[in-house]
Amino acid sequence: MSSVEHIKEGRSRPSFPWALSSLIGQGTPGAGSPAILALLMLPGLIIVAAFFIIPMALVAMRVADGPDGLATYFVILTHDRYLASLIQTLVMSGGVTVTALVLCGICGLFLVRNRFAGRNVITALLTLPLSFPGTVVGFMVIMLAGRQGVIGSVTDALWGEKIVFAYEITGLFVGYLYFSIPRVILAVMASAEKLDPQLEEAARSLGAPTWRVVRDVILPGLMPGLVSSGAICFATAMGAFGTAFTLATDIDVLPMVIYTEFTRNANIAVAAALSIALGAMTWAVLAAVRVFVGNGATSGTGGGA
Amino acid sequence: MRFKQLVMGAAFAVAAAQPAFAEDVAICYNCPPEWADWGGQLKNIARDLKIDVPQDNKNSGQTLSQLLAEKDNPVADVAYYGVSFGIKAKEEGVVADYKPANFDKIPDGLKDPEGAWFAIHSGTIGLFVNTEALGGAPVPQSWSDLLKPEYKGMVGYLDPSSAFVGYAGAVAINRAMGGSLDDFTPGIEFFKKLKENDPIVPKQTAYARVLSGEIPILIDYDFNAYRAKYKDEANVAFVIPTEGTVAVPYVMSLVKNGPHAENGKKVLDYVMSDAGQAHWANAFLRPVIASAMSPEASEKFLPAAEYERSQPVDYAKMAEVQAGFGERYLSEVR
Amino acid sequence: MRRDWKFYAQLGLTIVLCLFIVVPVVMSALAGVTVNVFKGLSSGLTLRWVFEVWDLYAQSILLSLGIAMACLVVTLLAGVPLAYVLVRRPSRMMRLFEELLTLPVAIPGLALALALLITYGGVSGYRSSWLFILTGHVLFTLPFMVRSVAAVMAAMDMKMLEEGAASLGAGFWRRFFGVIVPNAKPGILAGALMVVTLSIGEFNLTWMLHTPLTKTLPVGLADAYASMRLEIGSAYTLIFFVLIMPLLIAMQALADRGKRASRRIDTAEDTL
Repeated sequence: MSSVEHIKEGRSRPSFPWALSSLIGQGTPGAGSPAILALLMLPGLIIVAAFFIIPMALVAMRVADGPDGLATYFVILTHDRYLASLIQTLVMSGGVTVTALVLCGICGLFLVRNRFAGRNVITALLTLPLSFPGTVVGFMVIMLAGRQGVIGSVTDALWGEKIVFAYEITGLFVGYLYFSIPRVILAVMASAEKLDPQLEEAARSLGAPTWRVVRDVILPGLMPGLVSSGAICFATAMGAFGTAFTLATDIDVLPMVIYTEFTRNANIAVAAALSIALGAMTWAVLAAVRVFVGNGATSGTGGGA
Repeated sequence: MRFKQLVMGAAFAVAAAQPAFAEDVAICYNCPPEWADWGGQLKNIARDLKIDVPQDNKNSGQTLSQLLAEKDNPVADVAYYGVSFGIKAKEEGVVADYKPANFDKIPDGLKDPEGAWFAIHSGTIGLFVNTEALGGAPVPQSWSDLLKPEYKGMVGYLDPSSAFVGYAGAVAINRAMGGSLDDFTPGIEFFKKLKENDPIVPKQTAYARVLSGEIPILIDYDFNAYRAKYKDEANVAFVIPTEGTVAVPYVMSLVKNGPHAENGKKVLDYVMSDAGQAHWANAFLRPVIASAMSPEASEKFLPAAEYERSQPVDYAKMAEVQAGFGERYLSEVR
Repeated sequence: MRRDWKFYAQLGLTIVLCLFIVVPVVMSALAGVTVNVFKGLSSGLTLRWVFEVWDLYAQSILLSLGIAMACLVVTLLAGVPLAYVLVRRPSRMMRLFEELLTLPVAIPGLALALALLITYGGVSGYRSSWLFILTGHVLFTLPFMVRSVAAVMAAMDMKMLEEGAASLGAGFWRRFFGVIVPNAKPGILAGALMVVTLSIGEFNLTWMLHTPLTKTLPVGLADAYASMRLEIGSAYTLIFFVLIMPLLIAMQALADRGKRASRRIDTAEDTL
C-alpha cells in the first residue's frame, strides 16, 4: 500500500472543500469525488470510531475512577501480584516465541528445501490449529498431558509412571506452543522460499562449514520473516486468555488476572489499567518490529488464542 | 449476483439462529446442568411453566460479580449461590425482596426475613472420590489423608476465592485443623501443604471430571457424589472426613430490575413448591422444606452416624470474613 | 540429493511436531464417539454424545454460524469500499486510519471487550443481544477483510481500469460495481473465508461479552470442557472441527490457486 503513495499525480483539480481533499489526498479523474469517497469510508469510519476509539478512550478514563485515582495507571508496576503476573507473562511469551522460532526455523527450512512424499500433507497438518480458539488448544493439551492423556499412557506403559503435566506451567507452555507453531511456520516457509540457494552454494564452495553457512547466510536471509512472525507470536501469547482459562492452572498470566479483577469484584479501574498496559505493550512490540522490518511484515495470520 | 445471494443467505442464517424469543425466558446465573441436577430442574421448568431458562455455569462468586457489574442494567432475573453470597448480594443492593411459595415453612436461620434470599436446599461437604481412578491407593478418610504422597496430583478443590463450595470447603478444613472463622491460619497452612501435592483447582463445577477420572478426589458436596453413584452408576464413594465438616445451604434471590422479573418470580415459586422441592430431594440434596425429603432418597445417604461429624456454621459470620479469607488465600497460597 | 543423517534428523523433528499437533485432534475426535473414554475404545463407538451435545448446545452452534454470516456481510459492506479508498487515495491520514483499524488485532480481546462493556453495557437491549457479540467480531475481522482486498487492489492497475471505463462513459458507481469489485474478487473471497473462520473461532472477546442467551460455539465449548464429561467436550470439539475443516481447505485451495496463477504469469513473462 505504501508503494502506491509514491505515485504522485501532477494534475490539479478544481477547488473542493478543503477538509475533504486534505483528508483523502490528491486524486485523478476516475477516482470519484471526495464526497463519494467519504461515503465509501463512512461505514468503516463509524465502526472504528464508535466501537473502538471511543470505548478505548473511556477505558483510559475509567482507570482514574478507581479508589487510587491517577496512581492506578501504574498499578501494574506498584502491586506485587500484578508485577509478578506481568513478569510471568513476559517470560512465558518470550520463551514460547524463542522455542517456536527455533523449531519452526528448522522444520520450515526443511519443508521448503526438500521434496518427499507427504510433504504437502505435513504442511497442511502443521497449520491446522490456526483457527482454534484458545479453549480448544487447552483441551488439546489435556488430551496430550492430562490424567487420561496420551503422554501419560505412554510413559505408564514404558516406565510404570504416568506423567501428567497439563495443569502445570509446562502444560501452559505446551499449549502456547501449540497455537504458535502454525503462525510461525507459515511465515518461515514464506521467507525460506525467497532465500537464494546460490548464496549458500557459494559459501559452501568457499569452504564454510555448515554452522557458518547457517549463521552468516541463512539466518540473515530468514531474519525479516523470523522477526515479524516472532513478534506476532509474542503478541498472541501475551494476550492469550482461552488456553489459560481452560487449563485452570495456578499460573496467573496477565489476561487471567485482568479477567479475575473484572469478574471477581467488578474492580473495573484496575482491570482497565492492566488492559491498557497489556495492550500498549503488545502494540509497542508490533510497532517496533514494523519499523525494523518494514510495513506489511506484520500482516499476521490472525486469530487470538 | 453472488453478493445478493450472500446477503440473503446471511439474513436467513441470522434469522434461524435467533434464540426462541417466541417462548418465555428467564435468565438464571449459576444453574449448571451438572450440579444438583439443575439440568433436570430446568427441564421441569420448561415443561411445567413453559419458561425457557438457559443453563449457566458461573460459580457463586462470578454470579455476584456479574450482578454487581450489571447493577445499572441487569441481565439476569434470578441468581443461585451459596448463602454467604446471598447475604453479600443483599448488602450490595442487587437483589429484590420476594417471598416465594412455602416461604413461611423455611426455618428462620435459612432465609432473609424480607425475602432478599432464601435457602432452597443444602448439602454437606466431603470427599467425592472416583474409586477406580485412585491407581490402587486406598480411599482417603480424612482431610489430612489428602496431604499424603500417594494422592499426588489426584486432589481437586474448587477455587476458594470465587466458588462457594471452595470457600465452604476451606471453612470446613480450617475448623477441622483447629481454626475458626476469626482465624484462618490453620486452613491456609493446610492449603499451602496441599499445594505441594499438585492439586487441580477448577473454577467451575468439575463433576464430569471426577467421573472421567481426570480429578479422582474432589472436595465437593454429598449430593454430587450420590448422583454419580446412583444416577450415573459410577464407582464413586463419598467420605465425610474424620476430623469433621460443615453443612451449608444454597440460596436463591430475585435480581433487582431483572428483564423478565415476572418469569423470575414464577421460577422461584416453582423451585420452592412441593414439586420443586421433591426434585431436589430426589437429587440427593436436603430440601429446605424438610417434609419434602422422601424415605427412598434418605436411604441412599450415608448413615446418620457419619453425618454427626458435620457441624453447623454461623453463615452471617462466614459472609463477613469471606473477602478477607479470599485475599489471604490468593496472596499466601501460591 | 544427499539424504544424510541431517535430513533424517530434520524429518524426525518435523514428524514429531506434526504428531504433536495432530494426535490430540484425532484423540478428541475419537473420544467424542467413544462410549466411555475412561474405559477406552473397547467400550464401543456411539453417536450418543454428539446428539447430547446438539441437545445442550444447538443454539450456540447456530448462533455462531449466524453471527459469522452477519459478520461477513458487515465486513463486506464496510471493508471493500474502505480498501478501495485506502488504495486509491493514499495519504498520511489514511495511513493513520489504517493503523487504527488494525489496532484491534494487536490489542488483546479482553481489553476490547472491557471497552465495549464499559461504553455500551448500559444499553440493555443492545447489550443482551447477539448484536453486541457481532460488534466485537466485526472490530476484530474488519482489518483482515480490508487487508486482503487492498492487497489485490494494489496489485491490479485500478487507475487504468477506471480511466478506461470512465472514457467509455461509465459513472462512478457503475465503474465501482462493474469493474473494480469483480476484479478484486480473489481478495474478497480470501477475506470472506478469513472473516468467517475467525468469527466462528473467536473466544477471548466473546467470553466477556456473552450472556446465557447469547452463547457462541467456542463459549459453549469452554463450558463443556469445564463442567461436562470428557466425551461431551470431545463430541462438541468434533462438531467444531467438522465446521471449520471445509473453510480451512477452501482457504488453502485459494492460496494455492493464487500461487499457481502467479507462477504461470512469471513463466509466461519468461517465455515472452
